[in-house]
Amino acid sequence: MNVGEVDLLVGVSSRDAADTITHALGAIEQSFQQYFVRQRVVIVVVGSGDKDKRDGILEAASSAPSTRNPRQPGITSLRTIHRVTADFSSPPPPGVALRTVLAAADLLRARACAVLPPAANLSPSAVANLLKPAYHENFDFVAPLYKRHKFQGLLARNLLYPMSRAVFGCSIRELYSDEWGFSGRLASLCLNQDVWQEEAIRARPEAWMAISAIASDLRCCQTYLGEKSQPPTVAGSDIVEVLRQTVGNLFWCLEGNQSLWLDSQRSQEVPTFGPAHELTSETTELDPHRMFEMFRSGVTELEPILTVVLDPDTLVEIKNIVALPEGQFRFRPDLWVRTVYDFASSYHHAVINRAHLVQAFAPFYRGMTNSFLIEHSDSSPAEMEAASEMLCAEFELQKPYLRERWKANVEVKS
Amino acid sequence: MALQRDNLWYKDAVIYQLHVRTFCDSNADGIGDFAGLTRRLDYLQGLGITAIWLLPFYPSPLRDDGYDIADYTSVHSSYGTLDDFKTFLEAAHSRGIRVIIEMVLNHTSDQHPWFKESRSSRDNPKRDWYVWSETDTGYQGVPIVFVDTETSNWAWDPISKSYYWHRFFSHQPDLNYDNPAVFEAVWDVMKFWLDIGVDGFRLDAVAFLVEREGTLCENLPETHAVIREIRKRLDISYPSTMLLAEANQWPADVRAYFGDGDEFHAAFHFPLMPRMFMAVKLEDRKPIIEILEQTPEIPETAQWFIFLRNHDELTLEMVTDIERDYMYDEYATDKTMRINRGIRRRLAPMMNNDRRRIELLNGLLMSMPGTPIVYYGDEIAMGDNIYLGDRNGVRTPMQWNSSLNAGFSSADPERLYAPVISNAVYGYQAVNVDAQTRSEHSLLLWMKSLIKVRNAFRVFGRGTMQFLTPSNHRVLAYVRQFEGQTVLVVNNLSNSAQAVELDVQRYKGYVPIEMFGRNLFPRFGNLPYLLTLGPYQFYWFQLRRL
Repeated sequence: MNVGEVDLLVGVSSRDAADTITHALGAIEQSFQQYFVRQRVVIVVVGSGDKDKRDGILEAASSAPSTRNPRQPGITSLRTIHRVTADFSSPPPPGVALRTVLAAADLLRARACAVLPPAANLSPSAVANLLKPAYHENFDFVAPLYKRHKFQGLLARNLLYPMSRAVFGCSIRELYSDEWGFSGRLASLCLNQDVWQEEAIRARPEAWMAISAIASDLRCCQTYLGEKSQPPTVAGSDIVEVLRQTVGNLFWCLEGNQSLWLDSQRSQEVPTFGPAHELTSETTELDPHRMFEMFRSGVTELEPILTVVLDPDTLVEIKNIVALPEGQFRFRPDLWVRTVYDFASSYHHAVINRAHLVQAFAPFYRGMTNSFLIEHSDSSPAEMEAASEMLCAEFELQKPYLRERWKANVEVKS
Repeated sequence: MALQRDNLWYKDAVIYQLHVRTFCDSNADGIGDFAGLTRRLDYLQGLGITAIWLLPFYPSPLRDDGYDIADYTSVHSSYGTLDDFKTFLEAAHSRGIRVIIEMVLNHTSDQHPWFKESRSSRDNPKRDWYVWSETDTGYQGVPIVFVDTETSNWAWDPISKSYYWHRFFSHQPDLNYDNPAVFEAVWDVMKFWLDIGVDGFRLDAVAFLVEREGTLCENLPETHAVIREIRKRLDISYPSTMLLAEANQWPADVRAYFGDGDEFHAAFHFPLMPRMFMAVKLEDRKPIIEILEQTPEIPETAQWFIFLRNHDELTLEMVTDIERDYMYDEYATDKTMRINRGIRRRLAPMMNNDRRRIELLNGLLMSMPGTPIVYYGDEIAMGDNIYLGDRNGVRTPMQWNSSLNAGFSSADPERLYAPVISNAVYGYQAVNVDAQTRSEHSLLLWMKSLIKVRNAFRVFGRGTMQFLTPSNHRVLAYVRQFEGQTVLVVNNLSNSAQAVELDVQRYKGYVPIEMFGRNLFPRFGNLPYLLTLGPYQFYWFQLRRL
């Protein structure tokens, strides 16, 4: 890699994205040309071997950006925009791709970096918004914020965000995303941690990276990107897999960072660049009835496991709400938080196989989603936000409960 | 050493630009003169330059540094006499040095007898030698060049009670080339100097010779017709004379001034200059490659003239706004350093007196396609005085030695046309020709060796250029070829050591010979050729089959 020291580094995983990689690279390049005309920049494309070669992805990725006509007054980069490809024999998992990007950032002493998906709707301004806080304001982790439909991102709204905020004291809304920014300092710090063989990191490294920043007293912020980038392959169709990659990952992060939250109370302001949050409320095709049915059947089928995972009082209350007619069903915030914390502590104690444990959480998530959809079908964005804040407060309120369960001596069932 | 007979001499030349006022004062009046310049010709010969470009030395009210000419066929009394000029010219020629002089065709001073006659009455025979109007509304939309000082291209003449056209200062009325008598008068002026023996003219402001309603009054076909007629007469009667165009425009626009080899012999490549500075500051070859790749082919007999610095500000006309801002931020942080749309600084101060960068830029200047121009004093890294006003800060007396007035003049210091540079870094006590002549590692001696190598190979002045594109963008590499000569130039534009792998498959079997020490480097083989370069280091290799 004959690039030398750079100011900005953007990593993008090709992910067999023959259709969209060209657009994504163009958007990144355009971002450099519009917003960082003087900076030394490089794009690192992590490719996936033969298939990418076959599809011409790596070729497109490594081709030099077109030269411009210097007499035309359009905005353009003063320097060479480099593209470097890292070729793997098979598609690397996200953690491996990230490690490659971090290694490049460390080697090239990049000051600000971003990881981006090869998305068809990636915009130059979004790329810039992820890089600017790290480059201009010395932030170390830059999380995205999106314009979302009010029923989009419910897992983040109802669990990932409020729980991580309560536990780690850092109010990052989108802890799990395909795109984020970070400083060269954080890149070096993460690169040198001995975690890269962990499955959780290999699958979803972003939350761990944010928490690493928090744990090291580095500065985090959020930046508004507009519409969420749509990667070519959406891994969200299988809810269990999504839960494994997010909820399971969050539980894993809790365990790996106990010193950060178990016996101390930290909190960090997370400044926001751009609008704090934006919700839209067009109609949606979600089916609450089906979710309720899956919740009810799931709880019934999993009862033997739930007796081990949940606190007995929690389980009783869960059974009570399962027995309610659908019209009267509501997953109360306090019960939801207790359920989540029970699962988290059981994950810690490994009372059952952790993968099975996360799988067993799926009906609860469906139940909560059903409850949320019905309760907020007519809510305005402001009302949604108020409810979200209340849920955050509940997670905070019950944090001692989590600590207590976490520290308890628990008999592990084989 | 007599002049070589070669009508294409300007292609192989290394030009030294100076103003006679700045170089050497022979009569202790504080102003340089031709007698003084003649005394210093041995120095210039020793430096290795092959031509001198003299800034205007004509009688003039000097309201535009001599570009406001009041008499085309004489010498300003401060600089000596016409005989002094002739003596200088002969002495230069005897040393193998050609002389290029300024010729301002577009306008005269308002003190020129032609204009005095023209304005004297509306019936004067010379009335139509200038562009007159009853109103100031003609040629609407034509840009004003000196926006800081002029509000219109028309000026009111209280004597003839009408308006006259001027593209530059209002004291510089434009000549009217629609009047054939004007052309003949100007040709007579040129013939006057050609018969004395000058070797070339730099034609000032050539784009503006003719005016036409509904146009920007620039680059008009009628202007080209004037140039073609001059060239035709030159080719017939003075075939070894060179015409150099001053047109601060994009190469594609300047290209028209070469015509089909029947207009100018040479023109400045203005956009390349700021990009060399940019490339070194950016540590990236991109600006240089971009501009040269978009420089059009020119006729076989034509030539680009290239430079680092000159008597004017480092012009930033031919850059984008973003590039201009970058240049200002990097090279003119103090706003006093800025003037018009440029930077009024010399080479060495712009490089923070970093010898390595000064050498690199001179290396680029001498190895790029074109004829290089060295601005007086830059060969010893003279400093500037940005507090002198206008562009006078880069026009201070030449620093010859550490004695009174830097050896420039024996007049009282107060009498000098401008104070000598005397600060701790660039002052004449530290930076002067004598000291550098005695120091084995001085910039002056290094420049001599650079020019010597360049002069030994015609490929630099006449060769083609092909960029190599190694992945390391901090390295600018190109191959120059002319007839049997092939030269590889490799420049490290950065402040750190660089390794570069060059694809020289095409020259497999060739041996690169480092041109300054004549050292043989390993022969090119099948693999990419690995070179390492220190910060701002460059190599010139002659490629030969041995």
